[in-house]
Amino acid sequence: MRKDIDIFSIVKKLQAIRTLPVILLTITMSLILNSQAFAQDFGDSVFILPRMTVLILLLVFSSAVLLYTKWAKAGKKLFIRKIAGVDAVEDAVGRATEMGKPVLFIPGIADVEDIETIAGIAILGRVARVTAQYETPLLVPVRYPMVLAASQEVVEGAYAEMGKADSYDKDTVRYVAGEQFAFTATVNGMMMRERPAANIYMGGFFAESLLLAETGNAAGAIQIAGTARPEQLPFFVAACDFTLMGEELYAASSYLSKEPLLLGGLKGQDFVKVLIIIAILIGTLLVTFDIGDWYTNLFDVP
Amino acid sequence: MRTTIPIIVAFLAGTLLIVSFFFHPETIWIGDAKEVILQWMTIVGGFALVLGVVSIVRVNARAVQRKSEGWFYKLMTVISVFAMAIPAMMPVTKESVGGSIFYSIFPDSWMGYLGTGSNSFYDWLFNYVDAPMMETMFAMLAFYIASAAYRAFRARNAEATLLLFTATLVMLWRVPMGEAFLRLFSDNLPGYINTYVMGGFNVAVQRGIIIGAALGAASMSLRIILGIERTYMGK
Amino acid sequence: MDIWEKLNTIDRRWIYLLMFLSILFPTIFVMKFPIELTPEAEQLYNAVEELPDSSVVMLTFDYYASALAETEPMSIAALRHMWRKDMKIITLSNIPLGGPTIAERVTREIAKEFDKVYGVDFVNLGYKANYVAVMHGLASSIESIFPTDYTGTPLSELPLMEHVKSYDDMKFIYCVADNATVDYWISIVNAQYDIPVGSGVTAVMAPKMYSFLEAGQLTGLLGGMKGAAEYEKMVGALGTATIGMDAQSMAHLLIIFLVIVGNVGFFMNRRKAKDAKE
Repeated sequence: MRKDIDIFSIVKKLQAIRTLPVILLTITMSLILNSQAFAQDFGDSVFILPRMTVLILLLVFSSAVLLYTKWAKAGKKLFIRKIAGVDAVEDAVGRATEMGKPVLFIPGIADVEDIETIAGIAILGRVARVTAQYETPLLVPVRYPMVLAASQEVVEGAYAEMGKADSYDKDTVRYVAGEQFAFTATVNGMMMRERPAANIYMGGFFAESLLLAETGNAAGAIQIAGTARPEQLPFFVAACDFTLMGEELYAASSYLSKEPLLLGGLKGQDFVKVLIIIAILIGTLLVTFDIGDWYTNLFDVP
Repeated sequence: MRTTIPIIVAFLAGTLLIVSFFFHPETIWIGDAKEVILQWMTIVGGFALVLGVVSIVRVNARAVQRKSEGWFYKLMTVISVFAMAIPAMMPVTKESVGGSIFYSIFPDSWMGYLGTGSNSFYDWLFNYVDAPMMETMFAMLAFYIASAAYRAFRARNAEATLLLFTATLVMLWRVPMGEAFLRLFSDNLPGYINTYVMGGFNVAVQRGIIIGAALGAASMSLRIILGIERTYMGK
Repeated sequence: MDIWEKLNTIDRRWIYLLMFLSILFPTIFVMKFPIELTPEAEQLYNAVEELPDSSVVMLTFDYYASALAETEPMSIAALRHMWRKDMKIITLSNIPLGGPTIAERVTREIAKEFDKVYGVDFVNLGYKANYVAVMHGLASSIESIFPTDYTGTPLSELPLMEHVKSYDDMKFIYCVADNATVDYWISIVNAQYDIPVGSGVTAVMAPKMYSFLEAGQLTGLLGGMKGAAEYEKMVGALGTATIGMDAQSMAHLLIIFLVIVGNVGFFMNRRKAKDAKE
């Protein structure tokens, strides 16, 4: 069972130690007040005022996500549509277990600062729990050392959580090569030699997407891919059994967890999307009737 | 503590990056915080590289030691890692860090071959070994695209047929021979494809995916910053 | 097994062989179909053409060696166009492996054609990690991000860099890329520092770039080898992209042919299965 720790609960705990927030606030305020800016004109010299539109949108977005998360926490039922690609993940691992073959998972080939990689690693955590449970071998080749460290942590944690810490092999997650096509060649070789029964690609992919997916297809593996890069989607759609498109990648880990707290975030995101669609429609109408300059200027952020 | 401290660090780092976007970096320290954090990230990344080298050496050295299948290639991998890295890291001149000691041991004639400059050993390996290999791998896409298109491009239903028809038009339009063929029907046809297919339908779809993905990324970031999403920490 | 079933289960190596032959054939027998210009390529050409002579521009080499066939002809044509207008060029790369080395080789090669001198007419800044930080940093001070050029010479010793301190001293950014860095040149440098950005990208990336083009965030676009061939035509110096067009034409036609054959096989098999059911 997941312990309910988030930043709000941490802040609650910290409130018990009353001095700590006061000290933090004092340090922050003194740093701000000591800066040159406060000696000069406050306002435009400190804030980048034209960016305030972003601040407003950020607040609306954050409020929506937090509100839905709160409702989810309170037990309100939230409908989330089925994502076939995510549902297929467990089936794919099950198939690999039956066949006695490994599962190959690639958390993209971007570095850890890329949010797609984080999404990939989050899904890896869920997949590793299932492979640990069934004791199915897992192969996770990575391209960047930072991704190696983060993925190792996640996989090790998943095995420990399932009570299978002894089955965890330190080389499950392995650094393969920093160069894109050296990485691809190695992984393709791995697919042809070790013949994984399931290949899961989740994260940021580039020109190697089709090279990987076609080789996996030739090796007869069931393939599930997910990326937020529109330019690589056609290749995955052509060569994989299931593909998560764009935001589905970010939703996948929450969806897999089935925890209401995480699903609330998805609903908040959907609400903002509706607002954006309305904003686009209003903009289109205003610009069509040539009265939309003020409106487009609102969104012209430097 | 193993969960609480990382959540606090993630919250502070994430919030600082967001807040710094709204402040002038020239006038207030918080506006410059983003730069500082990004520099820290580069430094941490540099140290993490050691982890990568250790991993690659350990996995391959074990296979070489056991003489498992393909051990020779694994040995070549390990040799290649050091063959590219070591000469590139050596001091280029006597003034470079450690240069005076290095060139008191080794001859000065080595200078031109070390580092990453033109005519260095690294440069030679890059131009004549690495680059052709990369180009070959990229060129293989042509073969893979052909086989994937043959297998997957089927007019199974109305949507797939529409996609097939549009893709054929775009493939013809993107090459001179195809464009000449399209002009047999109408001189305006290539222009229409550019305007309506690429500038119209394509842009609409791309924007839809980009906006959706951006919202997904923002929502995921928010969940991470607030500690709601912790799977990436192995929790 | 009849021919239609065989078509459905054809060994993919036959397809590879056909593709190999379709690329080989036009490299031996040159066909030279006329290259028509697209408005987005013309827009990029005109943007550079309309800049005052001797302007300072930045040309990025944000590509790996793997994409050389598509991107290098763009860089070469751009250099020829810019130096014909006597522009001062600053090159850099956000790609560690390849970019700076390619920039060094290509610029020095083309510089010989125009008698351009390193340090006076062009400077190669090389590579610095963390492209987001680099792009922001160049807005305040180039020297703070790149204290030296690619060869290790301090920027203060290069005459060109005496007058070029940040984006404010540049008129245009011409970004040739095979990866997502171009998105950041647009969303960070164009959006936040208001400097026009034009780009040449691989064919796979081009469809995405149309959204930026339509929004006016991108000033002109070259898409893949075809885009490079168009630029070569406009500059009037035909190069490898123009030569490659015949091979690309044949490859596209082969794919269309394969798709048609595959669909015929698919429908024949479906009809057979339907007949067998009845």
